[in-house]
Amino acid sequence: MTSNPQSIMASSRPLSTWDRINPARYIGELSETRFWMYLLLLPSALLIMGVVIYPTLYGFQLSFREMRLNRPDLGTDWVLLKHYQRMLSDQIFWISLRNTAVWVTAAVTIEFSVGLIAALALNRNLPGTKVLAVFILLPFFLPNVVAGHMWALMLDPRLGVINDLLVKVGLLGGYKAWFADPSTAMAAAIIVEAWHSFPFFTLLLLAGLKGIPTDLYKAADIDGAGSISQLRLITLPMLKTVIAAAVILRVIGLVNSPDLLLILTSGGPGRSTQVLSLYAFQTAYKDFNFGYAGALSVIMFILLMMFAWVYVRLSKVNQD
Amino acid sequence: MAVARSRSKLVLDIGSYVVLIFLAFICIAPIVWTFLTSIKLEEDIVTRNMIYIPTRITFEHYVNLWNQSGYPVLVVNSLITTSVTVLICMLTGTIAAYSFSRFHFRGRTQLMLAYLIVRMFPAVLMIVPLFIVMRQVGLLDSSIGLAIAYTSFLLPLFVWMLKGFFDAAPKELESAARIDGTTRLGAMFRIVIPIARNGLLATAVFVGIAAWNEYLFALMLTTSQGSRTWPVGLQLMVGEFQLPWGMLAAGGIISILPVIVLFAFVQRAMVAGITAGAVKG
Amino acid sequence: MATLSIKGVRKSFGSVEVLHNIDLELEDGGFLVLLGPSGCGKSTLLSIIAGLEPSSGGDVVIGERTVNDIHPKDRNIAMVFQSYALYPTMSVRRNIGFGLEMRRVDTSSREDAIGRAADLLQISHLLDRKPGQLSGGQRQRVAMGRAIVRNPDLFLFDEPLSNLDAKLRVEMRTEIKRLHDRLGTSVVYVTHDQVEAMTLGTKVAVMKGGVIQQLADPQTIYEQPANMFVAGFIGSPTMNFLNGTLENQDGKLVLHHGEETLELSGVAKGASAYVGKKVVAGIRPETFSKGAGPSALTGIVDVVEPTGPDTMVVLDVGGQMISARLGSRERPHPGEPMTLSVDTTALNLFDPETGDRI
Ligand SMILES: Nc1ncnc2c1ncn2[C@@H]1O[C@H](COP(=O)(O)OP(=O)(O)OP(=O)(O)O)[C@@H](O)[C@H]1O
Ligand SMILES: [Mg+2]
Repeated sequence: MTSNPQSIMASSRPLSTWDRINPARYIGELSETRFWMYLLLLPSALLIMGVVIYPTLYGFQLSFREMRLNRPDLGTDWVLLKHYQRMLSDQIFWISLRNTAVWVTAAVTIEFSVGLIAALALNRNLPGTKVLAVFILLPFFLPNVVAGHMWALMLDPRLGVINDLLVKVGLLGGYKAWFADPSTAMAAAIIVEAWHSFPFFTLLLLAGLKGIPTDLYKAADIDGAGSISQLRLITLPMLKTVIAAAVILRVIGLVNSPDLLLILTSGGPGRSTQVLSLYAFQTAYKDFNFGYAGALSVIMFILLMMFAWVYVRLSKVNQD
Repeated sequence: MAVARSRSKLVLDIGSYVVLIFLAFICIAPIVWTFLTSIKLEEDIVTRNMIYIPTRITFEHYVNLWNQSGYPVLVVNSLITTSVTVLICMLTGTIAAYSFSRFHFRGRTQLMLAYLIVRMFPAVLMIVPLFIVMRQVGLLDSSIGLAIAYTSFLLPLFVWMLKGFFDAAPKELESAARIDGTTRLGAMFRIVIPIARNGLLATAVFVGIAAWNEYLFALMLTTSQGSRTWPVGLQLMVGEFQLPWGMLAAGGIISILPVIVLFAFVQRAMVAGITAGAVKG
Repeated sequence: MATLSIKGVRKSFGSVEVLHNIDLELEDGGFLVLLGPSGCGKSTLLSIIAGLEPSSGGDVVIGERTVNDIHPKDRNIAMVFQSYALYPTMSVRRNIGFGLEMRRVDTSSREDAIGRAADLLQISHLLDRKPGQLSGGQRQRVAMGRAIVRNPDLFLFDEPLSNLDAKLRVEMRTEIKRLHDRLGTSVVYVTHDQVEAMTLGTKVAVMKGGVIQQLADPQTIYEQPANMFVAGFIGSPTMNFLNGTLENQDGKLVLHHGEETLELSGVAKGASAYVGKKVVAGIRPETFSKGAGPSALTGIVDVVEPTGPDTMVVLDVGGQMISARLGSRERPHPGEPMTLSVDTTALNLFDPETGDRI
């Protein structure tokens, strides 16, 4: 090349005053140091400490104290295990625990099954299914409040369209108050929840399916394995980690957030849809009994951790 | 054999279409029905004979909602809270995701796991102390306070999702940029973030939608019209007995409209990001 | 342009040391090839020279400067990556000019430099495209353009040709050689292709397990490999290793291998110390020729592979397979006996214990 190095370097502009005081220059220098990665993490870590770790620890210690906003006369003394002892004899706690088990098990089962079917169908990449995929994924992005109201409207005892359809096809004698009947309230709520969240499984399982090499299926075809055995022998085993991750995330969501039930039934009628998270929230929000609400949450957290641990263990064992 | 296989393939194809069309119908039917309800006259909503396709159309529910119930204020509050949440996540989360994606340092895996595990903490366990703390520092019942509370579950999500997008940009690009004369900071802003900009947009939209939709924290941490968000406001419209279905439907449709539009826009990138973050974790 | 010297460089990842005490010298304008099997630490060494990774010890000196604590951007080096690492959001023009842009070279001289580099590499017509719209060979050229435009003191290449198809690779190899001849800038070039190493390098460093096995010019590496690893790594088909015992017969050194006896003349002086001991003789396939002689091996033809210009023959000599490169006229049949004579001046002896050349 004919150009000489000096000609280019000489035309470099010298540093201006602004360059010298420019803060970006100092941060740039900082970025070449060994602790740059920690500096990048610092703001988010501090924030998470502040809004997650600290409140959680605070909540944990609250569970050992008296703390009722509407009863300042009781003070905020340490009460050791009082709240936990009360739980043992608290009927509502035990009902909530049972309801939580029903709610989570039923919802995850339905969501996983429907989600898997949808993912398998979408993964065939048939023409036109891209648009259907958008529709199918949409419910997951809708607010709980609106999802709840849409279904409450459709299941309304006086003007619900589902009631009308069921009566018209003869499955139902007359309009039914689904959420007001203790025998159907939980089932109806689970349907709404499943509608809202099955796309979550579709989303994750679809991604997992895309990661399975198609050669495996070709090989299985040549070996003469049918669709069912391919599903059982290739697809599900290959999806194991995705399934485990999806189930755990969904269970966490279902156990921790009372939103949908709060909107649909507030735990009623009676206690038929009372779950732990809802009970804890109402204890805090309605009774302002923060100590007891904290204790309920701690128990919830411990149960979740135990579940996650056992579940991960089991799915690892199956893998070997 | 070949015939049998192609026939079973055909059966599966038809089955797939049936399943997908049925599910798509189930998924959008409630939305369509809510929309239809929102444009029906009041007497067509509450009627002996169900009216499926409205013959008379009205926008009075929308007008009433807008004029009477302070809905515009709720929407503005939600917008502020959502924007602040997204802003905080972008400012602190982008660099954190970058750090996790680019550097292998001691404690990285544990720290990333910690960012994941905080999602296991029950919302109620955090809400109560947040309520107490926010009250102490005067952030209770404010949009900023609510947005900060939202980062408790949205920031970890943001970091995980965005990390997946950053991972997709080869590390060598940064090496090349650093040799070409940038610092690590420059390489991050000039090279890596521009490459991941679609992912960043999708992640921000996802977090934005989640903040826009949130109900529980808002219910607990806002108490007045000044900072209340629309989900709480909409829920408060539900009276004890007579439900204002037309207005509720109108409110629901207005509120999910931006969600649907945004979702349609960034759907593909967002789906990729969610799955990248979740599957790798 | 500058010299490069590396003094006692070490690198550990956690508790694993992947580079042990590396010493290298490269003269101004030289072309150093780092050659070695996958995972031996070539890229790591290159990253340390570039400053992308801190070393765990030792010095890197470019020209007169010890650059240990100098940022990559200030080392005035350029690097071409195996994946090319072109910035996907920028046009080819901006890709090539990015280094100058960061050094605040003004627009007109930048454009000049980009134009010259593009002309040199024949990519002027591609300047306004994005990297995504280029073929593999074109990307490779852009990556080179980005490196040469800055007139660096030192070029670093990390397996720049390994993503190209065979034909293009040969073309680009010639191109790189031409560029180096023209620019005269010092180069450190990583590859595990020995042909690249032999054709391009003025110096070749063969590495294994984070240790430099031999640093020499290509000719020496080929003809006098420092040990059996280097000998086996260089050359295709690989060198034959014949086990045997060294003996003194009538004042001449001979090698006994089973029934066979090879008369050794012109072998290294140190060999006499090994009389009566086991040694390994390294014989390149092309040093065989058909016919008997004082040093000859007789065996049964096992496989015959005509390659066009040559015929490769695998001979079973008392159970040990020996490959020989013979003229294309030779067409022995498998199963036939055959005698090959060896040019012992090109033969190397190795100590079977240490593997080092005698
Ligand atoms: N960031 C890292 N952390 C831990 N070990 C690493 C890291 N980078 C490289 N290594 C290890 O260092 C050794 C040398 O790696 P390097 O990439 O330098 O090999 P290489 O000679 O370039 O191989 P290749 O020819 O395959 O590119 C390898 O064993 C590798 O596993
Ligand atoms: Mg390498």
